[in-house]
Order: sequence, then C-alpha cells, then structure tokens
Amino acid sequence: MCSVHDTVDFEKRGIPATVIITENFRRAAAWQFRSKGMEGHPYIELPHPVSNLKPKEMRGLALRYVDQLVRQLTG
Amino acid sequence: MGETALAVAVDEFEFFLEQEWSDGLPVVTPTEERVQRMLQGTRRDPQEVIGRIPPAMETATVRDAAIHALMAGCKPEYLPVVLGGIKLMLREELNLNAVQGTMGSAAPLMIVNGPYASKIGLHGGRGCFGPGFRANASIGRAIRLMLLNLGGGITELGSSTVFSSPLRYTACLAENMEQSPWESLAVSRGYSPDDNVITCAMVDPPKFCFDDASREPEPLLTGIADSMSTIGSLNVLVPRCPMVVVMGPLHATICAKAGMSRVDVHRRLSEMAGRKVRELKTGGVWRPERAQKINVDMNDEEHFVPGIKDPRDLQLVVAGGIGPISAVCHGWGGGSLVVHGTYDV
Amino acid sequence: MANDLPFINPTAGRSKAKVALAARPIDLAGKVLGLLDNTKEQADIILETVADALRERHGVARVVMRRKEAWSKPATDELMDEMAREVQVAVAALGG
Repeated sequence: MCSVHDTVDFEKRGIPATVIITENFRRAAAWQFRSKGMEGHPYIELPHPVSNLKPKEMRGLALRYVDQLVRQLTG
Repeated sequence: MGETALAVAVDEFEFFLEQEWSDGLPVVTPTEERVQRMLQGTRRDPQEVIGRIPPAMETATVRDAAIHALMAGCKPEYLPVVLGGIKLMLREELNLNAVQGTMGSAAPLMIVNGPYASKIGLHGGRGCFGPGFRANASIGRAIRLMLLNLGGGITELGSSTVFSSPLRYTACLAENMEQSPWESLAVSRGYSPDDNVITCAMVDPPKFCFDDASREPEPLLTGIADSMSTIGSLNVLVPRCPMVVVMGPLHATICAKAGMSRVDVHRRLSEMAGRKVRELKTGGVWRPERAQKINVDMNDEEHFVPGIKDPRDLQLVVAGGIGPISAVCHGWGGGSLVVHGTYDV
Repeated sequence: MANDLPFINPTAGRSKAKVALAARPIDLAGKVLGLLDNTKEQADIILETVADALRERHGVARVVMRRKEAWSKPATDELMDEMAREVQVAVAALGG
C-alpha cells in the first residue's frame, strides 16, 4: 500500500508515475492520494483477486490495461 | 491548525460521531474553553510541534494533543503522558507508518512506570486491561484518536487491517508495583525509580494463561511460554518481534519465592518460547523463505526456533489482580521494535 | 440538542499542500521506464508484462526494474534517488 506513497514521491521528483492496484483497494488509494495532496491522481485498477491467477492469466489480464496506463503517463 | 470555531445548528455529539476518524464512541466536545483547561496540564508551548503522524503525516502540536486528549475524556494532568506517548511512537524503530497500514491488528500498548503514573491514578492492578479506569481508558484513547485523525490510520482508508483489535480503542496501563515481587520494568532497564517512563510495544490483545495448578516456576513458565510461540503465530519465523508477557502478581510471586529474579524469569521464558522445525513445518505461517531469512535449516527437524530472538523484544511486566492468571501479548511481526523513554511532567 | 454551540473542528484549517502532477511527455518513445515492485504477490509478473508491452509497442528504450525490500515501508530515499536519476516515467505495483 505504500505504492501510493511511492507514486507521489516520483511525481514530487518530476517523474510522471502511476500505480497499479486491485479494485478492493480503490477507496484506500483514492483516500491516500487525497491525504498526500494529490486528490484525483489516476491509477490502474485490476479486478480482485489476482493472487489466484496463473502466470499466463496474469499476463493476459495486465496486457488489457497497458493502453490506459500509457494514457496516464503521457499528456 | 485546527482552531476554527464552528457554531452550527447540529448536535455536537452527532457531528463527531459522523467523522470518518471517529472511533465509534462519543467524544467530549472540544471547545476553546476546554482546550485551555487541558493545556494547563502542561508547561509546554501549545504551538510546539511534536511531529508528523504517519501515514497522512499531519503535524501534531501540543495543542492538537490537548484537543484529542480532551475529546478522549482526559483530565489535564493526563496530558503529559499523552504527549510523552505520542512522541515516543514517532521513533523510527517502532515503525508506526507500517503498523498504521498493516493487515494485522497491532496496537501501541503503553506501559507507564514511575511516580507520576501513580499520582494520576493510572491503574495496574485488578482489571487493568478493562473498563473502569479513567486514566487508562482516556490516555490510550487520546493516542488512538490522534493516530486516526492526524495519522490517517483509518480502517479501509489508510489501514488495511483485517480485524483491527479491541486494543485499538485504548491500550495503556501501569504495573502493579504494590503487589509485584520485583523492581519495575523501567528500573530493570536502568532507569531510576523516580523516572517517569513509558514503554511502548506494538501488540495484539492479551491471550490469558490460566494456571491454578503450578506451584513451581518451571511448570508455570512452561505454560506461559507455550502461548508465546505457536504454530499459528508469526513471531517464531521473523528476525525480530515484540512480545509482552504480563504476569499476574500471584504467578510472579511463585517465581520470586523460588528465588527467581525478574531477569531469571525473562531468561527462562526466552529459552522456553519457541517451536521445533518439525512442528513448524506442519502448517500455519511456515514458508521456506521465512526460515531462510532467519537462517534456520529446514532439514534439521529437531532444531528449536526461539520466539524471542533478541532479549530486548520481551517485555516482562507485573500487572493485574491477585489470581492465577498471566497474559501474553504477541507483537507485530512486520518489523517493529519496542521503544521506551522518559516523559516530562 | 446543542444549537449554535461553538466548538472546535480539529480537522479544519489543515491546509494540505497540493502536489502538482509532473509534466507528462507526449509519448514514451525513447524513454527510460522505472518499475517499482513492492514484493506483493503478482507484482513482478504484472510489471514484467507492462515492461515488455511498453518496449515492444510504445517505444520505451530501457526499463529499470527495482524491488523494494519491504512492501510495508515506502521506498528508501536511496532507491528513489537512484531511480529518479535514471528514469523518465514510472509505474508502481501492486497496491491493495
């Protein structure tokens, strides 16, 4: 969960960043971004759970979010 | 700085009960008059910064502590303990940031030694873990309200805690020095009996060890040690983990009468608490990488893995009423060390 | 019922300094991508997948993948300094 903190840390250093989370973390991620002064910061939200996915399934799922991730890192 | 006065047509109790950081119970409404009264409990400048409370990193001043102390139900004379406690909890080695967010349930248990604790009625005798003692209840609660409101350790928002814990309402007590056969925890560490000291350990609620059979230390400590390190507890399989053992005065006296000092009991419990590899491998939190990290040979079935890997991790305390019961509080296994220090009154 | 009772709102007046988003590049062509793995299960696979896709389809020139020591702590200053020196965009995983 410190991944939100790390993302904000990158932004503070002038590096565009985003974080990949699972959907059960949505409320916490939004709240944490707000509490660190970056309300509304985008993130990538994967369906939960992912821990039971086999590597091939995991890769397939992650690939579906690449375009969205690129949009969050570019202007 | 939190000093905006609000005059709204709302029920003040409802207002605070609906805050996202509310602990679910009503608070004493903070008014400027009440804050000023609470600040009489300290000589410190209200604007003095104590520190930033993780993970939200809001700044806590002495005035903020006073506001939260009065909300919790503290008397002004309790404020020095609240100030001392929250300052201590910001020490890096306690790892407050991680505990605020953890899936686990650890809460900062404050063990307060020294004359000031007695003066303000901080209780360490019968019923010390439960309701009925204002200093215990409100000091621990003041800390928790600060951790929630300023630190943002709010369940589901800043904290991924699975269960949380009853100790996260309040966790503060004194030792039972009237009935303890030994010197205090603080004195055993080298503090003077006149020092006002707080020890803080991140722990789970007590597991009580009822033993009305043992009349000698060895069987008594065997039972207590068995509760210290179990197959289902992480402390055996991590490099450092706090542990608080609260011996009831009756149990402590059994050991003392057999000639054991506090140091002796500490040592014996540390020797006994743990599990063999063959037991640990049967289930629970066992993982080969955990064993590797603590340099345990997984193939040595008879190897005994101690639960207390560093003597500084075990806090032996004497508290509670007279009765054949002691208590064991497991610490947080994610990397938090016990902290202690004097506080000003 | 307490109408018009003045009381202190301890959450008021705390001006949280806003952190500005870092300027975004137009695209990722030729960029160095930083990936921060917090050791949560599946984080490594997710980030490797992202790395491959961004290299192959979005022109990322180089990938710097780092793994935190403990997911419960923020990345150390040293690690962040090191990454900040090398990378131009970053992705952290896995929160939750």
